[in-house]
Amino acid sequence: MKDGELVQQVLNGNNNAFRFLVSKYQRLVLHVVGRMVGQQAEVEDICQEVFIKVFKTLKRFRGDSKLSTWIATIAYNTAITHIRKQKRRGEVSYNEQPALIGMEVDSGLNQKIIEKEEAKKYLLQLIETLPVNYRTVLTLFHLEEFSYKEIEEITGMPEGTIKSYLSRARKILKGKIEKVVRLEQTNIFADYA
Amino acid sequence: MLENKTNFDTDKLLDEVLLAEPEFTLPDNFAGMVAEKVGQRFAWEQYVKEFLIYLAVIVGIVAVSAGMALIWFEADWKAWFNFLTSNMAMVAAANFLLVFILFADKVLLRYFMYKSTTD
Repeated sequence: MKDGELVQQVLNGNNNAFRFLVSKYQRLVLHVVGRMVGQQAEVEDICQEVFIKVFKTLKRFRGDSKLSTWIATIAYNTAITHIRKQKRRGEVSYNEQPALIGMEVDSGLNQKIIEKEEAKKYLLQLIETLPVNYRTVLTLFHLEEFSYKEIEEITGMPEGTIKSYLSRARKILKGKIEKVVRLEQTNIFADYA
Repeated sequence: MLENKTNFDTDKLLDEVLLAEPEFTLPDNFAGMVAEKVGQRFAWEQYVKEFLIYLAVIVGIVAVSAGMALIWFEADWKAWFNFLTSNMAMVAAANFLLVFILFADKVLLRYFMYKSTTD
């Protein structure tokens, strides 16, 4: 079923069509919200909130952009609002600016990185420590394969900023993992030669 | 040479990690849960909309009837006004009761019936 038809069905009050829409886009919403919020306990509630917003505002969807882009925009805005609320309550340090270059790597974790899978896990943890804008663009670009233009539409960031965030995020992650490799002096990348 | 090799490997590892699914999950029946919640909300909004239409029609009929009585049948509007002001509490209570009965019939009962079939 095409997105236009799906939207029309939902607007006509077809509950099964909405169920289908949720199943189709829940992975996208989960990735955006999960990466931005970073706490499993809150992810489900926020994802629900996103789809309720989608339902309430669906009549405003004109089909100018892809439905996935439109839903991702709602997910992004809902997650940002949630993070800002948390920040106001002092529950989380919301870091929009990069401040990680040069940050010392946790030595406890260093000791554990001896194999490829652990290196991957470590990198995934590192991604979670990146500023929220970096995590968002990384997820949208690499995991969801949105174009720069679509990411611009979703986040409202200029294309240049998106490119810069992507490149800097990569640089940070690469720098950190290489630092760990040097520290450990182990050949954890043997499988990648 | 060694540096180049490490960089290449790191890029490859990074690409793999960036394509890996984050470790967040949703319940298996998430779509069903959300659709049910939204369905209930849609039903509620629909019933309230219908109630408001009924209410508007009833108020309209009463207003038109009162207007006709005043214009064509020369009803004594002063007597009506005096009656309404002297029995304000009773008139308000009767109106409230009628609106509540209409609301209960058009919204509450239907909504709870719908909810009991979907829960």
